[in-house]
Parts: sequence; C-alpha cells; structure tokens
Amino acid sequence: MKLLRFLAILLAIAMLATSFASAQEERVLVIGHAESTDSLDPARGYTQTTGVIHRALYETLVTFPDDSAAEILPMLATDWTISDDGLSYTFNLNPAAVFSDGSPVTAEDVVYSVNRLKNIQGSPSFLAAIIADVVADDADTVTFTLSDVSPAFLANLANTAFGITNSEVVTANGGSAAEDAATTDAALDFLNSNSAGSGPYILESWEPQVETVLVRNENYYGDAPYFDRVIITNIPEPATQKVALESGEIDLALDLTSDQIAPLEGNPNITIFRGPGNIVHFLLMNANPDIGGPMADPLVQRAVRMALDYPGYAALWGGVQPGSMMFYGNAYSFAPEQGVQRDLDGARALLAEAGYADGFDITLEYPTFTFQGVNMDTNAQKIQADLAEIGINVTLAPAELQVALESYRTGQEGFGYWFWGPDVLDPIDFLSFLPGGKVADERALWTPDVASEELNAMVAEARIATDPAAREELFTQLQAYTLENSPWAPFIQPDVQTALAADLQGYVWHPQWLLDVALLSRAE
Amino acid sequence: MSLAQYALRRILLIIPLLIGITFVSFLIANAIPADPINTNLPPSQLNNEAIVAAFRAEWGLDKPPIEQYFTYLGNLLQGNLGRSIKTRQPVAEDIAKFLPATIELATVATVFGIFIGVGLGIVSAVWRNRPIDFIARAVAVIGVSVPVFVLALLFLSVFHAQLGIAAGPGRLTVTLRDPPTVTGLFTVDSLLAGRPDLFLDAASHLILPGLVLALYIAGLISRVTRSSMLEILSMDYMRTARSKGVRESIVVMKHGLRNAMLPIVTVIGLSYGNLLAGAVLTESIFAWPGIGRYMFRASTSQDFPAIMGVSLLIAFIYVVVNFVVDILYYFLDPRIRLS
Repeated sequence: MKLLRFLAILLAIAMLATSFASAQEERVLVIGHAESTDSLDPARGYTQTTGVIHRALYETLVTFPDDSAAEILPMLATDWTISDDGLSYTFNLNPAAVFSDGSPVTAEDVVYSVNRLKNIQGSPSFLAAIIADVVADDADTVTFTLSDVSPAFLANLANTAFGITNSEVVTANGGSAAEDAATTDAALDFLNSNSAGSGPYILESWEPQVETVLVRNENYYGDAPYFDRVIITNIPEPATQKVALESGEIDLALDLTSDQIAPLEGNPNITIFRGPGNIVHFLLMNANPDIGGPMADPLVQRAVRMALDYPGYAALWGGVQPGSMMFYGNAYSFAPEQGVQRDLDGARALLAEAGYADGFDITLEYPTFTFQGVNMDTNAQKIQADLAEIGINVTLAPAELQVALESYRTGQEGFGYWFWGPDVLDPIDFLSFLPGGKVADERALWTPDVASEELNAMVAEARIATDPAAREELFTQLQAYTLENSPWAPFIQPDVQTALAADLQGYVWHPQWLLDVALLSRAE
Repeated sequence: MSLAQYALRRILLIIPLLIGITFVSFLIANAIPADPINTNLPPSQLNNEAIVAAFRAEWGLDKPPIEQYFTYLGNLLQGNLGRSIKTRQPVAEDIAKFLPATIELATVATVFGIFIGVGLGIVSAVWRNRPIDFIARAVAVIGVSVPVFVLALLFLSVFHAQLGIAAGPGRLTVTLRDPPTVTGLFTVDSLLAGRPDLFLDAASHLILPGLVLALYIAGLISRVTRSSMLEILSMDYMRTARSKGVRESIVVMKHGLRNAMLPIVTVIGLSYGNLLAGAVLTESIFAWPGIGRYMFRASTSQDFPAIMGVSLLIAFIYVVVNFVVDILYYFLDPRIRLS
C-alpha cells in the first residue's frame, strides 16, 4: 500500500516535470481579448477579432506596411497591372507561395476565394460587390474585372476578408463559391475549427467564448514567426485584462481603455505602446450662410484653422495634428508639419478682411461623448479658449450623442465638433470631405454647386484616377486646397494605446488588422 | 405519508410548471418589438429577400407565433431543444458545454457560503449583541450589499495581481490544456485523467470567484441562521438540555442548529439555484465560460431557441433544488412525515 502511494507520488512528480519541460521549449504568446465574432470563416467573420486571427492564418494578394496604410505592397501577388480604363486588374502570383498543406497557391484558389466571399453574402461581402468577374488566366495569373472604376480597389483587396483559401480543402469540406453559396456553402463548421490558408500560423482550435489557439505553420514559405503557439484567451472585461496583464498571465491586452492604461505607467513589467490612430477630430463650419452665419465665410474658416493651438491638443491626448482631413498614415496624406500652423495675427487679419474685426458670437454644437479615451467636452473648452484669442466668442452647446447626430446628419449644424474614422483605408476616403462627398454635401452643405469649377474638376479626376503618380499629385493638390479653402478644421489625431509585457518586442498597431502576431518576439 | 409518495407528488407537480415556464418565456421573447433577423444576419443580407426568407424558414419564424410555440413544445416533448441561431449548434449541446463550468463554480461557492454564512450566523446568535455579533452582522451586510463586480475586481487585483497568492481569471492557467471532457467539471475530469497538476490548477482557479459569490450568499445565510437560531435558543428545551448538564457546544450544535435548520436549508437551496442560474457579472469578470454568459449573449441577439432552452434549464434547476430542499425537510422535520 505504501509502495503504491509512493509510486503515485512519483508519477505525479514525473508528469509535472514533463509538462514543465515541454512548456519551456515552446515559445508561447498569450493575448487577452474580448472576443467578438461568431465565425472564423474569412468570408463570414468581420470584426476586430477576425482581423487579428485572419492576419495570422491567411494572406491577401496585396497588403499594407506593418504599421500604416501608407502604400500598397505585394503579398501573394508579386506585381500587378491596371488597365487604362481602370476596370481590369491583373495580378501575377508568387510561385513560391504554398498553403499550410504544402500545395501551391494558384490563380484558381484566388478565383474560388473571391467568388466565395462575394456569393456567401456574409458581413464582409460588400467589399467584393464591385467585382464583376474574376478569372484565372493561367496557374499564376489572375484578372479581376470591376463593374465600375474604383481606385480604392487595391486597398480593399488588402482587407483580411480577401484572405486566399485553399480551394481544394474548402470544397472537400462542404465549401461552395457558386452563385447560390449563401444557402449552399457548408464549410462554416470546418473553417471555424481549421484554417486553409498560406499565413504564418494555422488554427489549432477555436473554443467560442473561451480561447483561440494558433500554432506555427510548418510549411510557411516566408520567414518563420518567433512564437510557436499563440493563445488568444477571451477575457470579456477589460478590467480583468488589466489584472491579467499585471500578474503576467497575458502578454498583451487588446481592449484596455486609456484610463485603464494610465495607472500602468511606471510598472517595470509593462510597456505602453503609443502611436497615432486613424481617428481625426475636426470642426465643421457650415458652408451655407443661412445656417453657418459668419462661419460660412471661407476667410473666417481659414482664420479658425489658424487660431487653433495644435500642439496643445497633442499634449492633452498624445497623437499628432492631422495634416488634413485625411488621417496621417494613409497613402499621400499630409504630415503634421504640412498642416496649418497657428498664427493668431494672421487669423485676426483674416477676420478683419472678412468684416469681423471685432469678432462675433457663435454656438459650437457637439456630442457629450468620450471616444477611445478622448473627452470631447475637454476639447470643446479648449476650442472655446483658442478662438477667444481672435475675438470669436464661442458658446458651448453639448448634446446627447443621438440628439447631436440628428442635427449633424441633416446638415443643420452651423458650427460643430465631430470625429471621423475612415470607411476605407485609401485616400479615396478623403473625398467624403470634398464637394460631391457625403460629409461635405450633407453635413456642411459644401456641394458641387457652391464649390469652384477648379475644385470640382480635381475631385472628378481623383474619383477615377488609378495611376499612383497621378493619384499622389491629385490628392496633394486637394489636401493643399482644403487648407486654404474648406469648411473643415481638423485638429487632433489622438494616439492609440496598447499595454503589453515589457519583454515583448515588435508590437505595432495597424489600422486594418489591429495586430500582426507574426511580428512579435520576446527579448531573451 | 411515505417518502416515495411524497417524492412522487412533488415530481408530478413539476411537469405543468415546466410547461407553464415554456409558455411564459415564449411570450416574453416574442413580445420584444425587434426582429431577430437584424441581430443575426449581416447588414448586406438584410435587403436580400431570398436570404431573409430562407432564414425565417430555417428558424420557423415565418409561421404564426402560436404554431411556432406548439412546434417547439412538440420538439421539446421528444427531448429536442432546437438549435441556437447564434452558435448554430444544438442548444442542448451548448448547455452541456457551458453548464459544467457554472455547476463547478456554484457548488464551490455554495460550500464556501454555507461555512461562512452558517458560522457567522451561529456566532451572532450565541453571542447576541456582543461585539463579535456586530462584526459578524457587518460582514453579512457587506457581503450582501457590495456589488459583486466591485468585490470581484478588488479580489482579483489584490489577491491575484498584487499579492500573487491566488489564481486569476479563467478555469485553468491559459497555457495548460483542458483535461479530456468526461463530466465537463475540470476538477473531476483532471482527476479522472490522472493529472493531479491540472486538478490543483483548476481548483485554485475556483477559489477567488467562489469566494466572491460565497460572500454574496453568506450574507443572506448568516442573517437567516442568526434569526432562526435566536428563536430556537430561547426555547424551553434548550434550557432543559443545559440543566441536564449537556455541554454548551452540543446544546448549540445538536439541539439548537439542528432545529434551526429548516429556514437555513431553504435559503441555501434558493441561493444555490440562484448561482446555477448564472452569475453573469462574476462570470464576465473572471472570464468564466458559464451559462450566465451564454444566456446574456442569447438574449442580446434574440436567439429564441437558446433563450427558451436556458429559461427552461433555469426553471428546471430551481424546481430540482426546491425538490431536494423538500426532501431534506422530510428528514429534518419529523412532523412532515406524520402529516
């Protein structure tokens, strides 16, 4: 009996020891995240969670740089050409690219994945709506035909929803890319527990609401990632993520708010990553004199831009002054130093020229809202103080978000304060703020009718230009134009913050997929 | 009346009760003026009539409510709870996946709660109006009135993050793999798999959430214990026992507590049922994948089959717990046996 007990103890110790040893050999990354998806199928899941996971499992034809959307880079495609009419895009595939089962990534796989995304009509399918046809010219070449010119097409293709799946594997597991795929595709269960991509990781398991486990793709044709295993553990409460990060249980907390991050400052085991996000806070000055009053005058609009204390807002929240209404980090966007600089004398002179030498009274409408830690009330008070310096007497009129949105959306706001996050990570998003664009036309009443012919012509060209050099020139001119003449005063692009273990290296925030786990490593 | 007769009568009463519950939860779920297609189909599909029609047909939403109800009841009688719209898995399987975590936590919390609650209650009653009574009563009031999420976060940051003496959120340390599923209770499964290391890890993860929930129910249990004990302690037979020279501890525990047990058992039963029905906040903060979180998700996405399934489950749990309490009465109080 005694011997038996002794053996049992010995066995337990041995098991403990082996489990310890294997844990030491394996490099494991643990991420705390509030999971937000019902599906890991790239054609169906479309949330922050799937952005992170799909980035690790699947590759797209083209992609963005690691930390911005500043340009389009090759990924599964080595190069591409765009037809002169801007309607057809031809991609040459990287012949070295292979799926996790070792089979090559072919043009057929691209056709299958794109058609499946489009026809399944899942949450991300709208991204593929512009695609009229996609054909495999040969094993390594694929051509897309669009139903309309869409200069943002390449930026859309960089979305993880366009992750290329292994058509043979997906079909074998019930997948369909046919037109009736919305009702006939049955690969959901398979893709929820397996992956079929060419990314640096493969999906080992997904236990909804508990955890997602990724393991290294041994057949990956690119540089092997540092971590062998990535565990994304579901911690729905950000406050609990903070505790788990402090105790060292997780390496990275994805959902902390800025007031939860602040007390972590000074903790030697934790570093705080900061970098400009993609949200632009701006002032709207209605172009219609009946609504905007003095704010409708382009001279006054310019004076307001020159009166704002840009470094002051950056000191409040971290972040940068956006060079224009296009977020800094987007392709061709103006750098902070290219934006308007504060010049109070110049602003006063402009006001005098407009006939408001003694200033005027105005009401600033805005929602009482805190977005990603940035309190709009605080900013509104600073705007009030900044404009007082040039004689503009601002009365603050905060309102509940839904109430304020109503007057903003119907174009009834004379002078308002809002923020904007891009719908698409392409300069084309900027056109929302130019005559003919949604925000300009409907919120600021800056319509093509009241805009100069020169501006309307530039906008029309920018809407269809696909050649990178031509686009760069057009968007540079357009941004420069809005600094001189527009109903917008963008003033702060606040930092995003992420708290992570101090020994973790390589972390960068990305505006599209949030986090690329393959970039991370641990200091040794 | 024999125990068998007594039990049978109780069981027969359960059936109409459960059917009533299905009717009420169906009514409530359907009374919400919102369409489940909005929460379950991606926006791009909402304008596609064929897909919306297919969705309604798949989930039976195209039929009149009364027909939906009887279809559900028919399936239910065959033991079929239907499929969840959200997870697309059979509701029974979902419940089987999430319930064990809750059972494990609720059971541990209740055991903790009984020790703390009954202990405090006895101390309060025996040393009535002495300082120790005030302290015990203060603890009870704090346990009941401090919101569980405050207590949960406080415990996590103090005992786990700062002092490092207790395990953190989740059912197991993240890097460990779950034991093979037999019962779904990690403590039991890890022992069945012969993994004492996993057992220790799983058990240590139960301590903090168990304690938080225990303090909550202990407040209630201790107050009932105190008042029930006070009543019993003033009985003539207590004085008789003492005058016979029985030791005070035996007087209190055997003559006192035993006779004070009825209301205490009732409160314990209700608390246990309450915890099994899901402690949404505690489960959220401790990242505990239990039935409370499942129910929360089901209700926010108007997942009718899941809502109905969990409502039934909760009703069933209450009924079973009450049944067990009634059976305990039978043993605790001989008068029930005679009536």
